[in-house]
Amino acid sequence: MNDYYLTYKRGDSIKYVSHLDFVRVFGRAFRRAELPIAYSEGFNPHPLLTFALPLSVGYTSECELMEFVMEKELETEEIKEKLQKAMPIGIEITEVCKGKTRMKKLDNALYIVKAESIPDDLSEFLSLDSILIEKKTKSGIKETDIRADIKNIALKDGCMEMLLSAGSRANLKPEVVINAMNKYIDGYNSGECEYHRKQILDGEFNPL
Amino acid sequence: MNKNLDKILKRVQKASRYTGGELNSVVKNPEDVSIRYAFAFPDTYEVGMSHLGIKILYHILNQREDTYCERVFAPWIDMEEEMRKENIPLFTNETQTSVKEFDFLGVTLQYEMCYSNVLNMLDLAGIPLKSADRGEDDPFVNAGGPCAYNPEPTAEIFDFFTMGEGEEVIGELMDAYIEWKKSGGKRIDYLKRIAQIEGIYVPCLYDVEYNDDGTIKSMTPNCPEAKKTIRKRIVSDLDKVTYPDKFIVPFSDIVHDRANIEVFRGCIRGCRFCQAGMIYRPVREKSPGTLVCDAKNLIESTGYEEMGLSSLSTSDYTKLPELTDKLLELTEEKRVSLSLPSLRVDNFSLDLMQRVQKVRKSGLTFAPEAGSQRMRDVINKNVKEEDLINSATLAFNGGWSNVKLYFMIGLPYENEEDIKGIADLSHKVVECYYESDQTNKKRAPSVSLSVASFVPKPFTPFQWAAQNTMDELSEKQLFLKNQIRNRHVKYSYHQSDVSVLEGVFARGDRKLNRVLIRAHELGCKLDGWNECFKLDAWKQAFSDCGIDMEFYTRSREYDENLPWDFVDIGVTKEFMKNENEKAKKAVTTSNCREKCSGCGAASLCDKKEGCVCYE
Ligand code: SF4
Repeated sequence: MNDYYLTYKRGDSIKYVSHLDFVRVFGRAFRRAELPIAYSEGFNPHPLLTFALPLSVGYTSECELMEFVMEKELETEEIKEKLQKAMPIGIEITEVCKGKTRMKKLDNALYIVKAESIPDDLSEFLSLDSILIEKKTKSGIKETDIRADIKNIALKDGCMEMLLSAGSRANLKPEVVINAMNKYIDGYNSGECEYHRKQILDGEFNPL
Repeated sequence: MNKNLDKILKRVQKASRYTGGELNSVVKNPEDVSIRYAFAFPDTYEVGMSHLGIKILYHILNQREDTYCERVFAPWIDMEEEMRKENIPLFTNETQTSVKEFDFLGVTLQYEMCYSNVLNMLDLAGIPLKSADRGEDDPFVNAGGPCAYNPEPTAEIFDFFTMGEGEEVIGELMDAYIEWKKSGGKRIDYLKRIAQIEGIYVPCLYDVEYNDDGTIKSMTPNCPEAKKTIRKRIVSDLDKVTYPDKFIVPFSDIVHDRANIEVFRGCIRGCRFCQAGMIYRPVREKSPGTLVCDAKNLIESTGYEEMGLSSLSTSDYTKLPELTDKLLELTEEKRVSLSLPSLRVDNFSLDLMQRVQKVRKSGLTFAPEAGSQRMRDVINKNVKEEDLINSATLAFNGGWSNVKLYFMIGLPYENEEDIKGIADLSHKVVECYYESDQTNKKRAPSVSLSVASFVPKPFTPFQWAAQNTMDELSEKQLFLKNQIRNRHVKYSYHQSDVSVLEGVFARGDRKLNRVLIRAHELGCKLDGWNECFKLDAWKQAFSDCGIDMEFYTRSREYDENLPWDFVDIGVTKEFMKNENEKAKKAVTTSNCREKCSGCGAASLCDKKEGCVCYE
């Protein structure tokens, strides 16, 4: 099999495109670029693309990772160039490589959150034993403890850097953390926030 | 992105439909152009982006270096709420510029039930609703599309209308704008200038007088620039006219998410209820060569997985076998599935559908339109019962077991027998399944009936006919329901109240502008969406304005001045009358290819290359 993967950035202009729609964007880009991507078998064949971690609507990112399979072997530079040309504005392909990734090991993600207001001190919030948030499920509203999924929050350059659980085991979105901060930190009101994914990491916090 | 806008986009559903940036959407620097044109489709993005006309005109306008055309759609309810809360005016998808800042706001009117959306969009844009109230800095608000052929119900809203096909005239309008700008004239000067272009109607240049009974006494130009009749524009040679080599590829799912080629315009059949069949005359075909080239361009520029054919009745395309052979060659190579429109079911089309595997999943559709032979002759449908039975048998033998039948009720000269005929015909189709050589008889057939309420439209032989009231329609629907005695026949019908309102506006006059504005004040919008349609509000709007809906649903005499009489679509009123008389006697008329009936549309081809009616 001709396994490849690529990394890309998602800019501001394209942040409202949902993950599902995004999958289709890639499929069509391969077709436009006339790059022979491999398709699944079956009645409704779909291109063989695997995304490491869906990005929420409204987020930007500089560390998106996707694996794909080609029908025949091609130079990675050629793929990168042709694919970039076939992409809508707002997607920047940073690298195309041969082989598989360690995306199955994905366990954490680092986000940068730009809020209208930033708390002066996070130590109290981070020393809480449990942080309960309300989660809407099919059977009603459920309380969940997210404390263990907040690995760290740091203040940096007027933003918050949040290291959070990510992936299939547990996936915590930074907007949920912001809601919790608004609830738990006395007198804090974040205002509108912008979310950006900076890194995806494995369980030992090594970047993927 | 504007901060306020960014904030609200986070809170609404499917925000990507408001932010542009799709592949093949046009990026220009607004500073570099002389004309900014906002092209509006007065419904949601999903509906509007599925429409072919907008793609064609967007492409043609943006080919001009001096013009930047951007798109705008009706925001969904959640978005509108947020926009109003944050005081964000209606903006375009491409650059998020307030529509009010544009030179033109062009609206395509595809169905009457979008009129309330037009007003709502103007209101959201901060543009005065009435043409008369607009100032020198407001955009020229104009309309085109099939509903523009009777422009009177929105004549006080729009500054001008385009009658007919826009490909050529849009350029003339832009050229005139550039010249007018240079001349430093007033708003009215531009309108008077374009009133002289063929196909352009400027309502404020006409005065309408009424008789005591509310009918029209006269409609007269009030300045020398205004023409007495407005003749529709057509493009004569479809092989020569610009067709987009690129379609915008939306991010989100839209109604028809595929590449489309336009096979021909017009229709050779003269169904007497069908407005499209009259206003788009005469038939003009594209050659297979051009079509395959269009298809190739689109597949390569969009990456679409699906390709569709567009026309009023693709089975009537003279070179269909040649076209489909060539297209299949292309689509198979490019891994594109060919989606076939509802072709007339015969050996050729069934064979074709077997080749295009995808279709098998869905059912087949037949449109006998009326239940009895008499009624089919009245409407000039030219389909015999045995044709339908033969086609159905072919389909069942070919392995299909689901068919859908389209009918109409409330047609002129209709009686109980005709409605009962709908049920009878459906029963016969079910029987036909059991008589076919379907090997697997264990599978039950499914015959679904879709029954629409007839709406009399301008520029059809039935333009004088009475429209059934809501009560009459409900009664007929119930009657039909009781006639259906077979569990394999599934019956669904359309809301009759929407049809009545549609009919009122279709044949409306200038007095209805008041009603529209009142309905807008009462919150009417998105009327095409069941969950948003408010019949009570509409009724109140009519009564607040002292206007009776029945005035518009009544039958008309031949000598009455109809609001749309000043528009010349090529087909003559004489022909329509004659067709209506034949309808009364259930006499049919041949289609254009069998024998020309001298409808008048040939005059549009005068001295125009490539435009031929059938001799
Ligand atoms: S002039 Fe004759 S051929 Fe041409 S559209 Fe009319 S009826 Fe058909």
